[in-house]
Amino acid sequence: MQTDALLHLNLNRRGRLSRRNFLQSAALGIGGSALLSQFRLHAEDLKKEGRSCILLWLAGAPSQMETWDPKPGTPNGGETKKIQTQAPGVEIAHYWPKIAATMNEIAVIRAMTGKEAAHERGTYHLHTGHRMLGIEKFPHFGSVVARELGDPQSDIPNFVSIGQTLSSGFLGVQVAPFIIDRPGQLPDNVVNSTSDLRQRRRLALLSQQEHEFAQAGAAELVKEQSELYQKANLMMTSPRLKAFQFDDEPAAMQEAYGKTQTGQGLLVARRLVEAGVPFVEVRCNGWDMHSSVFSSMERRAPEVDQGLSQLLLDLKQRGLLEKTLVLCMGRIRTHSQNQCQLRSRSLASCLDSAGCWWRHEDREDHRLNQPTRRICGRPPGSFPGSLCDPLSQPGH
Amino acid sequence: MLKRRSSSQWIILVALICLIISVSSSAAPKKNAAPKTPPLNLPPLKTQEQKMQLLGYIRQTMPTRRIAQRITFSSADLDQALEQELGPAAQSLAQTIDDETFIRRASLDLTGQLPEPDKIEAFLKDQSTGKRSALIDELLESPAYGRKWARYWTSVIFYESEANKRRVDPQALEDWLAEQFNKGAPWDYITVMLISATPERNKAKRDDYGQDFGPNNFVLACENKSTELASQTARIFMGISIKCAECHDHPFDNWKREQFHELAAFFHPYTYKMPDQTDPKVQTVVQPRFLLGEKPHEKMKADARRVSIAAFLAYNPKNYWFARAYVNRIWSELIGDGFYDVDSLGPDSEVVHKPVVNRIAANFRYKDFDPKWVFRLIMNSRIYQREIRTSNSDSELFTAVRPSRLRPDVIADSVENLIGEDPSVRKEIMQAFDMNPSLPQDALEGSIQQALLMMNNQELQTRLSQSELKEQLVKISSDTELVQSLYLKVLARHATPSELERNLSYLRESEKREEAVDDLLWVLLNSTEFRTKR
Repeated sequence: MQTDALLHLNLNRRGRLSRRNFLQSAALGIGGSALLSQFRLHAEDLKKEGRSCILLWLAGAPSQMETWDPKPGTPNGGETKKIQTQAPGVEIAHYWPKIAATMNEIAVIRAMTGKEAAHERGTYHLHTGHRMLGIEKFPHFGSVVARELGDPQSDIPNFVSIGQTLSSGFLGVQVAPFIIDRPGQLPDNVVNSTSDLRQRRRLALLSQQEHEFAQAGAAELVKEQSELYQKANLMMTSPRLKAFQFDDEPAAMQEAYGKTQTGQGLLVARRLVEAGVPFVEVRCNGWDMHSSVFSSMERRAPEVDQGLSQLLLDLKQRGLLEKTLVLCMGRIRTHSQNQCQLRSRSLASCLDSAGCWWRHEDREDHRLNQPTRRICGRPPGSFPGSLCDPLSQPGH
Repeated sequence: MLKRRSSSQWIILVALICLIISVSSSAAPKKNAAPKTPPLNLPPLKTQEQKMQLLGYIRQTMPTRRIAQRITFSSADLDQALEQELGPAAQSLAQTIDDETFIRRASLDLTGQLPEPDKIEAFLKDQSTGKRSALIDELLESPAYGRKWARYWTSVIFYESEANKRRVDPQALEDWLAEQFNKGAPWDYITVMLISATPERNKAKRDDYGQDFGPNNFVLACENKSTELASQTARIFMGISIKCAECHDHPFDNWKREQFHELAAFFHPYTYKMPDQTDPKVQTVVQPRFLLGEKPHEKMKADARRVSIAAFLAYNPKNYWFARAYVNRIWSELIGDGFYDVDSLGPDSEVVHKPVVNRIAANFRYKDFDPKWVFRLIMNSRIYQREIRTSNSDSELFTAVRPSRLRPDVIADSVENLIGEDPSVRKEIMQAFDMNPSLPQDALEGSIQQALLMMNNQELQTRLSQSELKEQLVKISSDTELVQSLYLKVLARHATPSELERNLSYLRESEKREEAVDDLLWVLLNSTEFRTKR
């Protein structure tokens, strides 16, 4: 119930709600914002519970039948076999043995259909819950989580992305993703370039310099910049910065996640969540597999299979799985056996730690907001290890 | 590569001029008497030259050309018109800026570069009355002018493009635009070149979609998709937002869903079909029609239709959006606020001080869409030469200039001006300071990454500490002179008395003079002023 209310924050995407108006009404709590205040109320509860979310994004277009919905023996099934998982009745493609073995911890949300055929547009849809229409730039849902669940005074960003991702749109810089490219290493430029004493002297002189410019007519810009410099300096000296680094992480743990970009990214994600960051995205590239889908799958799947299953086990051992939603999703592509006839329909499928196979054949574009609406809760009637696939047809 | 392209451009241009002359003198279109559908009697329109030849002819016959000879509009007229519009707000006009602020502001606006210290000194010493105007003229003639504005427009076109990177060439577009701006090509020429392009794929070569030819890149940035071309044409060249109308009638505006699809039909190579609003499988054929109702000849082929939409866009004087969109863009960049958001105008009632922008736009048309005329008009006015102030109410709009964040390439240039060329620092700056060129200044925001980069980037700090600039500064024996040279080089102005005093005492209190110079450089590099146009 609570989460349902949280998830139904839905801006009027047909109208042109300007960013300024939106923020003003949010800040003052006025202007038809009953919905918004309800949203914030529940966010407060979730915040107290210390909830976080890790999103593993499979960039490109992973194939439906080679991931969570194998169809062997059908005209479109191809050479992919299905394997039993730990959860009775749930079968997935044979490229994912470790995921299969952790299926009891996983709830897989399988599938919904979308109208977007292009990568960028589908990616935008799944990251914002809105189709790319009009000029409004909708925020990444991670930014929404960061805004509602993050501490505004936090000494490290409330939304970290390992790899490029979408922007915070109209929500602005406060909740923009802080992007890093090399998991396990400190972010760029966080090490003080001089001694602490000199840095203090420099900053003191800078603030006087700024004061004069503010008086010359640039007060707003100066105010914003001093806030950012303050945040940056907090971050530089934050003890939580070490969450980005593997120095104190046992080698065995790094091995367990896999010495790959994705594996190491997921390990950083776990460390960040442990340090209190509410939203982390890990981007895994290389899922645009056209004619070479079977061989590419053999090559790409193990990295995710190992990293993701290890993440779930690790979170569970640390007691974090209860309050961490792990999502693995992509713009799922359906393909037929001859691998050339790609259907222009895109299908999203995700795997989460509290959901189910979930398929949603929706004819109306405007009702496709489900992925973000559901993001903090499980779909109705779902439970770990379950399969929800009401529309499944062989070879579909 | 660049040279070859530019020389071939010249040939094209010369050929074009000859053709325009011959066409306009001999081949006036014969009006056949058939009342209903006159046969289509068009010259071949396959190549870009052929298209431009016809457009050139249409341009010659623009009805506004005759009026233009009788009308003038000066910067003083602009000031008068605006002050009249401002009403009571005209009482709170900001002060006029001093010469030092003017030369920095004008140089940044026209070239994206800071004036060198000796240039500033010479400008301050100059006693002639018309020196500001002369500086504007001089800057408009420098090659950096074309480059700066080419970068801006390339960013406008590509910022939200979803096109595959291998099929577009933003650099080719930038080079072409720079050349056009520098030689004073009119805005309508540039626009119709971009709109009427029909790039063709060369299948013999991998990833060759015609992107090497600069003007092809607007269409390529839109992936040659009819709907994208329709919404981008309206957004960039008319400043209006009709994208929403792709799916439904615009809620607050006059645009109907049909109008969007009629516009899209213009760009479609064959028959355009509009999907039904509720059931996308049901499609109805839509005939091309421009926003003001102009229809192309039924028998027109795709190439000719591109030419006709370019003509409807630029040469129908009733399409006041075209000239106004350019004027509003440049005004926003120069003054910091626009008469309306540059690419998302809804109904015309959203335009603030509409009579003023409409007058500038009309005169821009009379001046044959000369881009430099717009710069001269605005920059010679009193409104441009006012001090900065941030106001967020419409009534105070244009009583002062808004302090503006500098564009990423300008910040990169300013940093390289201090440390010398450095591709890796440049790349980091371009990433960290990336900004959407179509957003109003008050919607832009800084980031933590920007602060971290400027404070701590190892390469930047090392290069700064070992720079020629620093070496020269340390050599200056007088501290006062040192501080003044520092301010002149980094902020392009002299230090104020309080700044001077503060910096002098910092130097005195520091044990190592060299380290202290590093600190002072660091402070100015990290100041808001360094990345702001004041």
